[in-house]
Amino acid sequence: MSLALFLSEVVPVRPKLYRFAYRLLGNEEDAMDVVQDALMKVWQQQERMTELQNLEAWCMRIVRNLALDRLKSKKYRRSEELERAGDVPAMQQQNPYAAAEQQDVMKRVHSIIASLPEKYRTIIQLRDIDGYSYLEIADILAIEMADVKINLHRARKSVREQLQKVQVYGVQ
Amino acid sequence: MEFNKIRELLDRYWEGESSLEDEAQLRSFFSTNRQDLPADLKEAQPLFGYFAAEAAIELPELPEMEAPVVQMPPPRPWEHWMKYAAIFLMAVGVGYAARSFQSRQERILFADANHDTYNDPQKAFAATQKALQLLAKNLNKGTSQVQKLSYFNEATEKLKAE
Repeated sequence: MSLALFLSEVVPVRPKLYRFAYRLLGNEEDAMDVVQDALMKVWQQQERMTELQNLEAWCMRIVRNLALDRLKSKKYRRSEELERAGDVPAMQQQNPYAAAEQQDVMKRVHSIIASLPEKYRTIIQLRDIDGYSYLEIADILAIEMADVKINLHRARKSVREQLQKVQVYGVQ
Repeated sequence: MEFNKIRELLDRYWEGESSLEDEAQLRSFFSTNRQDLPADLKEAQPLFGYFAAEAAIELPELPEMEAPVVQMPPPRPWEHWMKYAAIFLMAVGVGYAARSFQSRQERILFADANHDTYNDPQKAFAATQKALQLLAKNLNKGTSQVQKLSYFNEATEKLKAE
């Protein structure tokens, strides 16, 4: 029963878990390790699998906790902006100048979001990049739905202010 | 005007009140490359561009899962025979203790009921009489004290009456 559930509900969300772990850790190898550990943990608590309404959110929560533990224990540092710059894909390749400018803008936005507190950053990523609903985010972060909205509002406000600063003064 | 609709959606977005559909509309609006945007809309353009780019990042394929799931062996009832043996021994022990306690209690009661202190009825009568006399004597001591008290009461009442 739980094996079938595990194979049908948990295994298919591995790519999502991996993506989530990667965003938190900024490192593919560690993200893979965390996903593996999370799946082991999920399997060890298999008796809870049938009780839970949203298995995906539960798995995401486990991944987040493991990733945060790893960040804490290793005094881990997110990879430097210069290293990460290569990961941001160029959007429109009209001409080299426009492409370089586009890259620059992406890097700026990336660093604005990366500088947010972890909770804000995660909420923005879950909502604006992964497209989770408020309820799912509340489940993943184990907080109230009202808190999700409040935190999202604050996170977006902070991003907006910094974007305006960049646009007006060209500084961060 | 399309821009007004987008402004409305953006307001909701910044407030954290937008629905997933609103956000999908915003993403698709900003995904088309627009050079002619008004300034207020332009500020959000890089952000949505970034979201689209981040969502499109290709991560390396995860390796296939090496069946970390091990089928649990079927439970074998005789595996825990020591547990059951211990429960059985405990039950026998408690049962035996209860039975022996009960029979001992019965024996004591039986012995008490049939145990006489005197064999000679004369002696038994004398002893009983002696015990009753002792009781009576002590009772008399008590009543004489109470009598004295009643004298005092009478005296105080007389004094009060005068």
